[in-house]
Amino acid sequence: MSEAQVHSALCLEGELNIYCASETKMRLMEFLSRAEDPSLDLSAVTELDTAGLQVLILARQEAERMRKPLRFLNPSDSVRDVFDLCNLTVRFGDARGLESNS
Amino acid sequence: MNLDKAQQTFIEESRELLEAMEDALLTLETSPGDTDAINAVFRAMHTIKGAAGLFGLDHIVSFTHVAESLMDRVRDGELSVDDKLIALLLGCQDHIATLLEELAAGNETPDADLLTASTGLIAGLNLYLGESPVSDEAAPESPASASPGMGMGGAGVDQDTWHVSVRFDRDLLRNGFDPLSFVRYLGTIGTLVHVEVIDDAIPAGDEMDAEACYLGFEIRLAGALSKGDIESAFEFVQSDCTLTILPPNSQIGAYIDLIQDLPEDSARLGEILVACGTLTERELEEGLRIQFGGQEEPVDRGDVKPAQPLGEILVERELVQQELVDAALDKQRRTREAKTREARVIRIDAAKLDDLINLVGELVIAGSAAETLARRSRNRSLVEANATIGGLVESIRDSALRLRMVEIGETFNRFRRVVRDVSQDLGKEIDLVITGAETELDKSVVEKIGDPLMHLVRNAMDHGLESTERRIAAGKPAKGTLRLNAYHESGSIVIEIVDDGGGLDRARILAKAQERGLVQPGQTLSDHEIDHLIFEPGFSTAEQVTNLSGRGVGMDVVRRNIDALRGTIGLQSEPGVGTRVAIRLPLTLAIIDGFLVGVGDGYYIIPLDCVVECMKCDPAETSDKDYINLRGQVLPFLRLRDLFHIGGTPPRRQNIVVIQYAGQRVGLVVDYLLGEFQTVIKPLGRLLNHLRGFFGGSTILGGGEVAMILDVQELIRISVQREAGGAVESSPGKEQIDLV
Amino acid sequence: MSKTIMIVDDSASVRQVVSIALKGAGYDVVDACDGKDALTKLDGRKLHLIISDVNMPNMDGISFVKQVKAHPSYKFTPVIMLTTESAADKKQRGQEAGAKAWIVKPFQPQQMLAAVSKLVLP
Repeated sequence: MSEAQVHSALCLEGELNIYCASETKMRLMEFLSRAEDPSLDLSAVTELDTAGLQVLILARQEAERMRKPLRFLNPSDSVRDVFDLCNLTVRFGDARGLESNS
Repeated sequence: MNLDKAQQTFIEESRELLEAMEDALLTLETSPGDTDAINAVFRAMHTIKGAAGLFGLDHIVSFTHVAESLMDRVRDGELSVDDKLIALLLGCQDHIATLLEELAAGNETPDADLLTASTGLIAGLNLYLGESPVSDEAAPESPASASPGMGMGGAGVDQDTWHVSVRFDRDLLRNGFDPLSFVRYLGTIGTLVHVEVIDDAIPAGDEMDAEACYLGFEIRLAGALSKGDIESAFEFVQSDCTLTILPPNSQIGAYIDLIQDLPEDSARLGEILVACGTLTERELEEGLRIQFGGQEEPVDRGDVKPAQPLGEILVERELVQQELVDAALDKQRRTREAKTREARVIRIDAAKLDDLINLVGELVIAGSAAETLARRSRNRSLVEANATIGGLVESIRDSALRLRMVEIGETFNRFRRVVRDVSQDLGKEIDLVITGAETELDKSVVEKIGDPLMHLVRNAMDHGLESTERRIAAGKPAKGTLRLNAYHESGSIVIEIVDDGGGLDRARILAKAQERGLVQPGQTLSDHEIDHLIFEPGFSTAEQVTNLSGRGVGMDVVRRNIDALRGTIGLQSEPGVGTRVAIRLPLTLAIIDGFLVGVGDGYYIIPLDCVVECMKCDPAETSDKDYINLRGQVLPFLRLRDLFHIGGTPPRRQNIVVIQYAGQRVGLVVDYLLGEFQTVIKPLGRLLNHLRGFFGGSTILGGGEVAMILDVQELIRISVQREAGGAVESSPGKEQIDLV
Repeated sequence: MSKTIMIVDDSASVRQVVSIALKGAGYDVVDACDGKDALTKLDGRKLHLIISDVNMPNMDGISFVKQVKAHPSYKFTPVIMLTTESAADKKQRGQEAGAKAWIVKPFQPQQMLAAVSKLVLP
């Protein structure tokens, strides 16, 4: 997994599953602590499982606690699939949206 | 793995399951709430379905599936069992039995008729499945939420949508499971109407373990599913999750219960259920209000811990449910017991058992030979050693025979269905009472007793028990009672068929017997004798020939059947009170303890059960007479020498063996008494068939000699006939026997 | 992207039937004839599910699962074991080794597919 920072956006790449959930969590926590207007680019996520989803939810909760709302951007098909399944598209898409940059 | 063999096993086990199902259905008829019985029916359908799947028997699978789903809903208390449903399920049971017969006969695909029958029954079942409202206001086809504001009726919830609530153990992900895959799977067996992720359990950042599972789901799932279908999605994580499945049309109370049981905040869960579309706002509000002590004003969330009202209401409700809980526990315990009992039972091919019994029989004979030789050798230690072996052989024989002993209950239970069906056909109300079901007898006897019993039971229902009107007119309970009872008595099993009907109509029996020439006009008969006329060949009193008792094939056939089993049949009847038929049968047909006697050069065996005593035959007292005075009682006797036409001169001192059967005593004059002898009965071969009548079989003695086993019943019959003044008359082919 | 499943069984016919069924349902299949063979075929490849028999020559299913579960790339990979009902103690050992899902032999291909699809959809 690599990470690219564009305007305090973190880009997650590759598989987001239990094998890398711990690592991703640390990375996200660290990212949230320094980002001002954080957003996550999910366009390059190839796989999302429950562990991955939990980390994303955690990130949003933490962000809320820090009073800096986190946006999820450009969900890939794998991510969209999970969000749709769990009816999270609306929840994660509130206020500032689950937006595509394109 | 040989599939043919496995299929054979499948057929056998399915037959057993169907029998259990029939029993259970009949139980349900009297106690519709019997959870054991409901489970037995479910299990039968479920197991047959499962096994049939392995063999690709789709027609059985699809049929049993519908029946299983239906029973599943009965199990969940959504459907209640009524007579119509029982009749339908009995039909299903019959149908599956037919499908199995076809399969056994090698027809894997059913013919058009059977398929039509399947379709008909499935339609019947579906009717039940379709109209299974918890409340009576059925509107199965309208999924749209009916009349908002219906309150607690459950009508506000869509009709065939399930609610699935699941929370997982923390370790689930580490164990390799992904809860999302279960949700996706549910989406393949039904339609996911709404999925709500419950993330309340995720702790704050530092404490959160990214590999632990914190998520839960509230899911609304639509589809023609059974609870089992939904449960199966979670089969691999059964013990690692908390799963609650609420069937369509669940009462609002059930949802409220769910809310209370879940770990999350009630108000939040309520919102979630509303979000799922499971509940409407109004229903939730009302439900919670009632839950929280029935206060009219909305609950003050500040004083959550509604310690008093909520707790008490839960307890109250728990009290109501206590019985259910107890029932469930009890059911579990019994299932467990049944399982362990099942596990202790081995199935054995009956033929193998027969082989064993045969061998034991040979062993008994060989043992006797050795014992005889030992005795002749006068070697004391050899005699003792042989006696020990003899004792062991006897134990082995007993154990071997016990292996074949089965309880008669199964045979009796078969009549529950017969009684049920026939009573409906006849329009009579009949209660079948079974006692002594645990009485054991040899399997070979059980197999042969079914037909005679069937005849007697039908006879009792057809002729014995009066119509309801006549019973009421006679001041009897409208419902007739038919009893089947069994018990052991002196080496025999006695089976009783008792009805509380009108008793035998002696005037009519006598008239009919005279008309048939069975009784001479003017001949006076005791009541007992008249009653027993019905066992005479060709006697049938039914004024109306029904399809049940047949025409003319009356009780004489029954008696012949019983005779063939070395049994007897007796009857007692009291006008207006009822009739009792008692069948007495030997416990086994294979081996008897015999008493060996000699006449001339021949050896004869008398079943030891029948031997009362032996005495010296005093020529002075017995010459020219065919009876003696035995302690003040007249004892008729038969000289076997004469009876069997044995030539030569009898020894000076003969002996009398007093035998008794079914209350009648006769003396048999024999030459020698040779003592007790364990005897394996060999059937009389075709060659010796002409001897049938005097003899029940033959056996080989230790020295290789053949000994004939006396048919005590027949001998007693001859003696009684003689006493009655008739000539010694025996059936054709029995006279002129010369034994070498 | 289709999911990859490994089937480990010493019976060629079982491997064949399972492979056909899984491929038909849209999974990619890797097969191995025993634990040893399976370990060599892992080869760092991404697996979504492993189906393994218990009784096999060379390396039995339980040892195999232990080794797989010790591998960082496969420690969370779900494993379905194929077993006969009577093997209660085996099941216990298998659970400890990390195989949490079981299919009782004999099974119909359809049953196996249903079980698999509860864990991984194609």
